[in-house]
Amino acid sequence: MSRAEHLQATLASRAGEIAAGLGDGALGVSVFDYLSGFAWGLDGDRWFHAASTIKVAILAGLFDAIERRRFTLDSRLHVRNRFLSVLDGQPFRVDARRDADDDVHASIGKTMRVGELARHMIVRSSNLAANLLLDLVGVEETRGALAARDITGVDVCRGVEDERAFEAGLSNRVTADGIVGLLRAIRDGRGFSPESSKAMIDILMDQEFAGGIAPGLPDAIRAVARVAHKTGDISTVSHDAGLVFLPGRPPYVVAILAACAGDPSARNEALAAISGLVYDAVAAAGEAA
Amino acid sequence: MMVANDALGLPVVDALDLPDPVSRPLQPGALMRTRDGDWHRLPRFFFEVDSWQTALTTQLTAHFGLWELMDVDLHEAASLRMFPRYVPCAVTSLAAALEVFRLEVGATVRIAANGGYRSPTHRGSRSGSPHCWGTAANIYAIGGEPLDTEEQIGRYGAVARRLLPFGWVRPYGHAAGHADDHLHIDLGYATMVPNGISEEDDEADQARRLDDRSAGTSGVRP
Repeated sequence: MSRAEHLQATLASRAGEIAAGLGDGALGVSVFDYLSGFAWGLDGDRWFHAASTIKVAILAGLFDAIERRRFTLDSRLHVRNRFLSVLDGQPFRVDARRDADDDVHASIGKTMRVGELARHMIVRSSNLAANLLLDLVGVEETRGALAARDITGVDVCRGVEDERAFEAGLSNRVTADGIVGLLRAIRDGRGFSPESSKAMIDILMDQEFAGGIAPGLPDAIRAVARVAHKTGDISTVSHDAGLVFLPGRPPYVVAILAACAGDPSARNEALAAISGLVYDAVAAAGEAA
Repeated sequence: MMVANDALGLPVVDALDLPDPVSRPLQPGALMRTRDGDWHRLPRFFFEVDSWQTALTTQLTAHFGLWELMDVDLHEAASLRMFPRYVPCAVTSLAAALEVFRLEVGATVRIAANGGYRSPTHRGSRSGSPHCWGTAANIYAIGGEPLDTEEQIGRYGAVARRLLPFGWVRPYGHAAGHADDHLHIDLGYATMVPNGISEEDDEADQARRLDDRSAGTSGVRP
């Protein structure tokens, strides 16, 4: 068995153990390495509540609309905290106390540029910005943008904080394979101009939340890695998905989705542990390639 | 036709004379149908605003700047978001009414984006909305307090009804015709023709121009 094969076997074995450690929970992992072509997954087609990882899909839908010249990143949009539930059309608001970003709430009543809102949606995971942009682009248009790029495993059906829809079982969902497919479409510029592709990656690169991918990398690697990613956390799930750029080689893409009730630290430890194992396997595959 | 308004220092234009990409979405002088089935003639005379800097520095009253009543987003027609931009002359009456309201409540009154003048082709404009006359304002905060409860909207709405007997205030509620995150005040379908402007025109020519402008526009007839 080669070193690469050994590390891939270790990844599969340890990931299974980590998944078992989540008790009644679940773990979904998907990996693709642009250098070696190495691809691997653990329950990569299992559906999870998307939490804030759905904002990557909203970002892609936004740039699809920009490609279609519906508006530009410089266009100004009225910041209004009033949305209609996908369930029954009743209005709801994004609770500022539950939103990770204050800046967009501070602009209620005024306008912000579409590009600014996109940054707040990703970099600080603004729920208000996400809903404003999804309202602007449209749910069906966003789904269409994903379908046109052959992205499956990402199910956008509503804005965030739509509690009535949540209670009725209507939630945005993702699979690990789906998010990796979405990130690959962004990186590859599938249906996007090179400028749009770069702009999306730049925004993802400025992520302010640590997540689990970077913390799981070996110290020396973390010091030089750049991770363009999006986290997602609610009471029962913790996710991190992104492109990992390392010096001297093309990036690899990884999505790690963890679901279990209780202390989020167990989920976060799982994300970091999987990230470290994925790095070892990807690095070995790259050396062998 | 263009004259300078001495008080504001802004040119006043007959929008029927403006280039088609601007005049068509403004629909000057066209009749517009309201939700109730009434017809009202859209404004024809507009202030011409050459830059955002001019909008920022033009005070309509002691506490209301022109910019507050012309701040729109990407839902406005692209040609109307470029300068020079055009605002109905009746916006001065709206500002005066808001000033009276502001003095009564004794606190800052904030007008929302898209909450002052917006054109009939603005994608947020319902047919016959007084916003298209420049006579309506959506107030989203008073004294730094967001207006998003029934109590607040009801309390300040009562003040507006008392001060502006010819105005209209949307009741609190979630259905069409109601408001739940702002206080809507309007003065109805007032238009203003400033001193120094003559409405005399070649009637046949005006009718033809109105007809050209309104062709194919739902809810509007010349």
